[in-house]
Amino acid sequence: MLEIKNLHVKIADDERVILKGLNLVVPKGEVHAIMGPNGAGKSTLAYVLAGKPDFEITDGDILWNGESILGLAPDERAAKGVFLAFQYPMEIPGVAGLTFLRTAANAVRKKRGQTEHTTPEFMKIVREKAASLNIDYEMLKRPVNVGFSGGEKKRSEILQMAMLEPTLCVLDETDSGLDIDALRIVSDGVNALRSPERAMLVITHYQRLLDYIVPDKVHVLANGVIVKTGDKDLASELEKTGYAEFEGKAA
Amino acid sequence: MTIAVMKTKAELAIAEQFAGVIGSLPGGAEVARARRGAMAVFGEMGLPHRRIEEWKYTDLRVALKDPVPPPSVIDGAKLTVGDLIVALGPYMELDAPRIVFVNGHYRRALSNLSGAEAINVVPLSVNFETLAEVTGDAVSALNTAFVTDGAVIDIAAGVTIEKPLLVVCLAAGRDALSSTVRHKITVGADAKATIVELFLTLQGSAVEQHMNALSEVTVGDRAQVTHVKAASDAGRATHLSNLVVTLGTDAGYRGFALTSGQALSRNQVLATFAGEGSKLDLSGAFLGRGGDHIDTTLTVDHGVPHCESREFFAGVLDGRARGIFQGKVIVRPDAQKTDGKQMARVMMLSPDAEFDSKPELEIYADDVVCGHGSTAAQIDEDLLFYCQARGIPAAEARALLVESFIGEAIDKVEHEGVRAALAQTAREWLAS
Repeated sequence: MLEIKNLHVKIADDERVILKGLNLVVPKGEVHAIMGPNGAGKSTLAYVLAGKPDFEITDGDILWNGESILGLAPDERAAKGVFLAFQYPMEIPGVAGLTFLRTAANAVRKKRGQTEHTTPEFMKIVREKAASLNIDYEMLKRPVNVGFSGGEKKRSEILQMAMLEPTLCVLDETDSGLDIDALRIVSDGVNALRSPERAMLVITHYQRLLDYIVPDKVHVLANGVIVKTGDKDLASELEKTGYAEFEGKAA
Repeated sequence: MTIAVMKTKAELAIAEQFAGVIGSLPGGAEVARARRGAMAVFGEMGLPHRRIEEWKYTDLRVALKDPVPPPSVIDGAKLTVGDLIVALGPYMELDAPRIVFVNGHYRRALSNLSGAEAINVVPLSVNFETLAEVTGDAVSALNTAFVTDGAVIDIAAGVTIEKPLLVVCLAAGRDALSSTVRHKITVGADAKATIVELFLTLQGSAVEQHMNALSEVTVGDRAQVTHVKAASDAGRATHLSNLVVTLGTDAGYRGFALTSGQALSRNQVLATFAGEGSKLDLSGAFLGRGGDHIDTTLTVDHGVPHCESREFFAGVLDGRARGIFQGKVIVRPDAQKTDGKQMARVMMLSPDAEFDSKPELEIYADDVVCGHGSTAAQIDEDLLFYCQARGIPAAEARALLVESFIGEAIDKVEHEGVRAALAQTAREWLAS
């Protein structure tokens, strides 16, 4: 279970406060959506969960399975099962996709006390998962994300997610830059990972993604706090009314 | 000899050493005359220093302060094929013919030229009279004065060798020596070859070895040559090298240099287009830490039209290491339609490291495309976070990112096996 308690976050080298006492609980087996206007703090929440060093936690706590993860480095959080699918996946010139996947998968397996994949095992798993995401295996021999289209980058994120077998999946605007076919493939990939052991937090600006990844709950984040919580119908409602009623509400 | 202009201890020591060994150096009367002539040139020039523009950043009068190790005149080091295999490390995987020199002397027992029957490979020492004088700077003059051996490689017109040919120079022994080698590679028209020069220090040997290496490469019309050099010594070596390349018509030359494990390294390249329609690709990677000083100085001379030159060098500098990249491109008045591009990039791992980059374009023709660029950057913190978010610990992620940075240069090497061996050498240096 993910428990975020009274979370206050500011930018490390700046006085700007982004999250102002955010409370949220996502039980295992559930998919929760975070929606909200631009600048509400959605991406900050995603980064803070993954441990990006550019932010400072001034108050509150984040518990994953009852244990605070605030003191953990990003790789230690990954080993505990936290995975962030980036809004803008990074390009790593000079590192082949397969090398990156293997290094990452083996690093988390090692920390989780599992044995590292043998090369044939690893290849087999990657081939299967890549095929299910419509990713050309040859593409994985190229440097990570270099020269990939927006859709290819997002599929590559979901492949990494599938390979690392996380238990807390945070998807930051995974729908941005996707056409309708890519959206379907990515959503199928995410839905395939839904399980009673996994919690998912899907961050999005639009309701569209939630037609494919149907959430158990929808939260509205505005001005650094959760201002409204509802079921999946809240997303459709927001699509009609927009975020105007929440803007400035918590300020 | 004009001793009067010699000023530094090293210069005096070198002159003394020469006087002491000239009688023991190989070659007949003609060669001895050439050596004395070269030494006279050195006597006049002295060691290159910062007031000479090309040596602005690498002042050998300052750098060669310590006594210069004695010249390696006699081959005395004891070593076995087993020692060689250990020294070759990842290059052993190549299954390649090799000619081996130890401290600048040919070793038949360590060489193995099976697989290279189609080409003519002999040590210079079998016919020293073919030694040609090279005009150039003081370092080339010292090469002529002290040279003891080297590989003479002749590839006849139309011959293709698939396997790379290794030219191995090993430094070995408990005491450091100054070794001097001269390689001459002649590739006939329509021929195709891959040559890999390796400069290595045997494990357990003195680490302050000195090497002066000069390679001359002539690329015939329509010939394709890949020429890789890996100078990966034990850590404190001094390596002064000159590479002189001449390209015929419609020829291709791809040169790559990996430099690591050297305290003082000067890699000087002079490439000249003698025929139209040729392509030159020079690339390399240099790795420095501690007080290492690594200098890459290139001159590409476009004397004829319709030629293309590409230069791409990447460096990693840690500690107080200093990297230098000087790239001169001369486009002479007749060299219309010249296409020249140059790029030097370094990753600085420490605030005390230094990188000096000096592109020089001398363009006398008006219908040309020439460009240059240079960057110095640190590890990208966002990329580091991305790797960590995927479970890769910070130290491992840093190594991966540095390796990937160097990998971009190493990827210029087309031969898969050679590329893998170079990557392995770089990886070992990064992990050490």
